[in-house]
Amino acid sequence: MKHLIAIVFAALSLTVGNAYAATQTIKAQVNGMVCAFCAQGIEKKMLSLSQTKEVYVDLKNGVVAVELKEGQTLTHDAVKGVITDAGYEVAKIQTVPETAKQIRAAAQAKK
Amino acid sequence: MIFSVLKAAACIAAAATALCAHAAPMGFKDSWMAMGEFGPNWRELYANYALTPRDALGASGLYMRSDDKARTRDLAELTYTRLLARWNQKEAQSNLWFMGGVGTLRGNDFSGNKTMFTPGVQYDYETKRLYFAATARLYRAPGVKHDYVSARAGFSFYEVDYEETQPWLIVEARRMRDLSDKVEITPMLRLINKGYFIEVGVNNSRQARFNFMYIF
Repeated sequence: MKHLIAIVFAALSLTVGNAYAATQTIKAQVNGMVCAFCAQGIEKKMLSLSQTKEVYVDLKNGVVAVELKEGQTLTHDAVKGVITDAGYEVAKIQTVPETAKQIRAAAQAKK
Repeated sequence: MIFSVLKAAACIAAAATALCAHAAPMGFKDSWMAMGEFGPNWRELYANYALTPRDALGASGLYMRSDDKARTRDLAELTYTRLLARWNQKEAQSNLWFMGGVGTLRGNDFSGNKTMFTPGVQYDYETKRLYFAATARLYRAPGVKHDYVSARAGFSFYEVDYEETQPWLIVEARRMRDLSDKVEITPMLRLINKGYFIEVGVNNSRQARFNFMYIF
């Protein structure tokens, strides 16, 4: 029984670990993003990219998070280009291991 | 015939001038933006297509009426919008725009059509809670000078998340030379959502007004 539990635990750990490693989200701090109506361009353009799995726009904190599909890559310059074309300025950009949903949950937990 | 075609196109397109004072007068690159403004003395439909992040071409149909209801104007025009400058800050954005058009004007106090030119500029400043815009636009045709100025200022009641609807109180003051002898003042409730933008209000002549914007 102990062996069975250990195997199940190990299998679960491996699965969760792989999922965690596969997640790549590009998170940008955006200047000038003050209105949802105007910021919709960022979301629409990001979602139109074949590499994008999910987009989270945090208007209050000026954050755009672009979660990539598993195995896909997207350069910081490409994300910056989309945001700049939508009329905004990227102050900071980084790749993080959290999903867009996790970033949303963290932002909402801060309220 | 040309006028009818322009007008029909403009009806799909519709409402530039006054609406340009609402928010950005164009959408993001490769998007269509439709705008409309409806009131007894001013009805407008406008649409444009953003060719670049800074340039948009469109068509507009505008009906104007004097305060005494005696004179009317119908303008169908092709428009060009240019973002001249944008300043992005951490908590604010401000813009300087050029808007211009050329079209055909008809009126009930003169015969035939006149070619009208409508160059103008707008400056706006916006944070998540405050809004200000000033617009000046010339409406010139032979023997006609309906120059237009407006100012808008307002605040939102609270900040919202991206998916939520944000309510604003906006007050607009505007005047159009020759067609009106007074400054029109309109307090409006503005609702902004990521999918739509609408305003409703009643002006100081007790006339209802409704504006909308939508990006495709």
